Amino acid sequence: MSNRVDPNLIKELREYGLKDAGKCYNCGNCTAICDLSTPENPFPRKMVRYVQLGQKEKILKSPEPWLCYYCGDCSIRCPREADPGETMMVLRRYLTSLYDWTGFSKKFYTSEKFETTAVAAIGILVGLGMIFWGIANHAMIDWKHADVSSVWSTAGMEIADLVMASILSFFLLTNLFRCVKLVMGDYFKKVPLKMYYEEFKYLLVQFATQKQFDGCKTKGNRARWIAHLAIMTGYATIFLLVVVFLNGLPFMGINFLKFQRGWASMGHVNEISIFNPLRLLGYYSFFALMYGTSYVIYSRLKKTAPQFKNTHSTDWMFLILLQATAITGILINLGHIFNWVFFSYAIYVIHMMVAIPMLVLEVPFAKWAHLAYRPVVLMLMKVKGRYISEYEEIKGAVLEPEVAL
Amino acid sequence: MDKKIGVYICTGCGIGEALDVDQLSTVATSECNAALCKNHSSLCSPEGVKLIKDDIAGEGVNTLIIAACSQRVMYDVFDFEGTILDRVNFREQIVWTHPPKDEDTQMMAEDYLRMSGARMKATEPPEPFKPEQEMARDILVVGGGVTGMTAALEAAKAGYNAVLVEQAQELGGFQKNVSQNVVFPFKDVQDNEIEKLAAAVTNNDKIKVFTGSKIEKLSGGPCLFNATIKQNGSTSDHRIGAVVLAAGWKPYDPEKLDKSLGYGVSPNVVTNVQFEERAKAGKISRPSDDRALKTVAFIQCAGQRDPNHLAYCSSICCFTALKQAIQVKRQDPDTNVFVFYQEMRTPGQGEDFFRKAQSEGVIFVRTQAPEVLATESKVAVEAFDELLGEKILLDDVDLVVLATGMVPATSFGEDYKAKKATEEPPKKEEMVASVDSIFVSDILNLEYRQGPELPELKYGFPDSHFICFPYESRRTGIYPAGPVRRPMGVSSAIEDGTGAAMKAIQCVELTSQGMAVHPRAGDMSYPEFFLQRCTQCKRCTEECPFGAINEDEKGNPLPQPTRCRRCGVCMGACPERIISFKNYSVAMIGDMVKAINVPEEYDEKPRILVFCCENDAYPTIDMAGLRKMNYNAWVRIIPLRCLGSLNLVWIADSLSKGIDGIMLFGCRHGDNYQCHFVKGSELANIRLSKVKETLDRLALESDRVRFEEISITDYEKVPGILDEFAEKLVEIGANPYKGF
Repeated sequence: MSNRVDPNLIKELREYGLKDAGKCYNCGNCTAICDLSTPENPFPRKMVRYVQLGQKEKILKSPEPWLCYYCGDCSIRCPREADPGETMMVLRRYLTSLYDWTGFSKKFYTSEKFETTAVAAIGILVGLGMIFWGIANHAMIDWKHADVSSVWSTAGMEIADLVMASILSFFLLTNLFRCVKLVMGDYFKKVPLKMYYEEFKYLLVQFATQKQFDGCKTKGNRARWIAHLAIMTGYATIFLLVVVFLNGLPFMGINFLKFQRGWASMGHVNEISIFNPLRLLGYYSFFALMYGTSYVIYSRLKKTAPQFKNTHSTDWMFLILLQATAITGILINLGHIFNWVFFSYAIYVIHMMVAIPMLVLEVPFAKWAHLAYRPVVLMLMKVKGRYISEYEEIKGAVLEPEVAL
Repeated sequence: MDKKIGVYICTGCGIGEALDVDQLSTVATSECNAALCKNHSSLCSPEGVKLIKDDIAGEGVNTLIIAACSQRVMYDVFDFEGTILDRVNFREQIVWTHPPKDEDTQMMAEDYLRMSGARMKATEPPEPFKPEQEMARDILVVGGGVTGMTAALEAAKAGYNAVLVEQAQELGGFQKNVSQNVVFPFKDVQDNEIEKLAAAVTNNDKIKVFTGSKIEKLSGGPCLFNATIKQNGSTSDHRIGAVVLAAGWKPYDPEKLDKSLGYGVSPNVVTNVQFEERAKAGKISRPSDDRALKTVAFIQCAGQRDPNHLAYCSSICCFTALKQAIQVKRQDPDTNVFVFYQEMRTPGQGEDFFRKAQSEGVIFVRTQAPEVLATESKVAVEAFDELLGEKILLDDVDLVVLATGMVPATSFGEDYKAKKATEEPPKKEEMVASVDSIFVSDILNLEYRQGPELPELKYGFPDSHFICFPYESRRTGIYPAGPVRRPMGVSSAIEDGTGAAMKAIQCVELTSQGMAVHPRAGDMSYPEFFLQRCTQCKRCTEECPFGAINEDEKGNPLPQPTRCRRCGVCMGACPERIISFKNYSVAMIGDMVKAINVPEEYDEKPRILVFCCENDAYPTIDMAGLRKMNYNAWVRIIPLRCLGSLNLVWIADSLSKGIDGIMLFGCRHGDNYQCHFVKGSELANIRLSKVKETLDRLALESDRVRFEEISITDYEKVPGILDEFAEKLVEIGANPYKGF
């Protein structure tokens, strides 16, 4: 069976940011230098060759793009300046759009116009919704104390948050399911569920620590890992605090986790000090996000390393929204503390206008989605490897002949 | 010439410490007829040279024997006008290779002095060949393409008149049909400027251009060529000094290609040459319906590097495919272009052009045997991608371009020698040297006994040696250049045209002074024939590697000294020994053999005579000396111009003299030969095989004579070969003819 060449793939990938893959003469220096490439899953050369030969089917089934953390060694070593690291990045974008069954992701990645319009539209819709909600609720608004819950009830917000989270989870999980099926191929049905269950811990560890990221031994990689970890932990923490525990999920009886609270001096009853662990976690999130995003924005502006040289429009969008979310978030808190009433309400609306498009668009359809794909694929590789060693070798089955590329 | 011999022994470089110089002086004066014998601690110093010069001026010494270092060094220092001179290699071949103050070492030095004395006794100063006619200096260039035009222009620039003969009605050759090309430094494609070159040639007063013409006849030899040029039915004669053959190439016939390449099935499968025609015409489109191209595939090595078609690489097709791919991409960057190749051969800075094609978006697929799946309406390419490790299928291809190769213009036509061989098969017991084809390609139409065109080296290319001696052919004064010599592109062709023009000029200059050209450039001796004793055996005319000797109707040789390279192959061939040079003859070498002092059997000092090619084997032995390697002291070495000049009578002389063993050191022969005179060592080997039969008949062990192929890098083996042969001779026992 011959593999049909899709000569247009390389052109299609240009919209995802592909630049120099055509220059590659397949010497393999990139694969040799890569700390994360393994004999079972060699990259980036193989992936570059797939791109050159228009092997869309093979790319779709490849776990390799998710195994790469883009340390940039390959791009430094590449004698042809073909930027293999960037090709891997492009393939992550491409795969994200292929996993997405709605087709929304593809549009988001391939059209800057669509991207900005979508972000702006959702932002404006959210803003308008918030304002209308406020107007409808104007009788209850506390103009003496900066108390956003008097305008937009905490319980209502939490419900809205949870509804949104469920919808996003639905999209993300269905996309993730497609990813799992594609990456596992024939093994999807073969591997017993128990094995997935047993390796789930590995997934959680990878998710929380991104240990694999630290596997790249390039100089300066640790700083990037720390910045990456800061963004991830900062965002995950504040996501839990704000989206899940805004009102402390009263129906589950864990009110003590309630995040949105007032000040006694302002007439609220369930106040907590700024030194309360919940608050401290919030501050950690702010500083972590600010450190991480500033580090990346600075690096991308100065193009300090190969992975910061090529910035796709979606990368900027992601960073800007993320940093804006963090800044508006801390401003809400400041407004609260210093009791700047109108400021607090206005910034709350803006915060929502930034944070929600960020969540809605980026989590299931764009860059944030890798928070799911990466650890899951890592786990899948572990599961697949275990299955092959435990089952197939005992049965004497021969591994699929893989040509080392 | 009334000779007054002076022997000069250098005692420097360890010679004085190793040898008994007084004893040697005695040998020189008593046995070499030396009028005087002097020694000096450094003959090559100004004082040493002055010593000799003073003797030439004051004592009237005109024949010099300088016993010092090898003849391959200090030749510029020991250069005395009006004298004849011999160098005795005391340093490299005696004191650096044998123990000092040793009886055998001393005997060796004495023998070498005696041999030199014999040699000088038989040597006469050579007189340059001066024919009756005036020597022509014009350069004939055959072929008006890039190579030929460059050669003519370069010759004109150097002040020589050129006659340019082109078959077509216009100058330009193949490049006339090429719109764009790529030349050094291979950064980008550029417009072809062949018209400018053609105009420069046409406007040059020193170049006489004949278009629509051919050479009907070319007779004579360097500086004496007579070319009959036919143009539009009329002929004209021209006196020519030397010839540059730039007859060019023809594309390989695509009809002969394997069916798996799809040629002839679909009009959308074309050759690279046909692509050029399309590019020249303007728009490159799908041949079947003239639609715009969406996908184009280039297939490299179509019928090349394939023993069933062209066994060689044409060297330009990779560049051509890259250029054509870029042309397609420039026409429309959205066209998908794939190049299927075995090896991408873009040496040196050519790599930049490969990068250029990559940056234009051309995709390369390394594969060994791509298949073109062609029907009349649809074309696809299937190939095993070596990197993917799987087969890939590129379908809906609008244009497939097959890279067919270059065939030299000289390779067309009947094989003259093969035809002759069937007409008059060689006599049964006669062994002949390997036959090189001469194709009757109707280009030069030489009036040479051995055939009308240049002999091929391989695959119909008429070169004499690709690597060592570019532009040399086996016909003196005729220098192939450009794609007729080896496959090449424009850049190399320009270089070739220039190089061959220089060779032609060198030829004219040397020949007009009566000197030999490469590889014995400057040699003024030439073979003289004592025709009264000729038996018309035709060996000399047949065996001359350069076809220098014509024949009359009776079979008498008609030597053409300006064609001669002075190798002496004819001298070695002649059973009547009627061919000799003023300073190199059968008798002279025979006398040298006889001058060797062969001890009696009970002395247990056997003697080994080495007839040694002076081009490669002799310097190899010197190199063993430079490395102070030791070898057997029974050895006596006689350098020959070429092992092909070995006359069998020397072997007989040596054996009857009591020499125990004889070795022939020659160059590698056959495929990838290294012989400077192409056939010399091969002929020597053939002659030797005949000697062995004779030896067996005389009840002499044929092991006493041995042939060894020695190349310049074999210096480490040489002592071993000599020692081993000496042991073998001890085993065989002494020559029974000793003392007779």
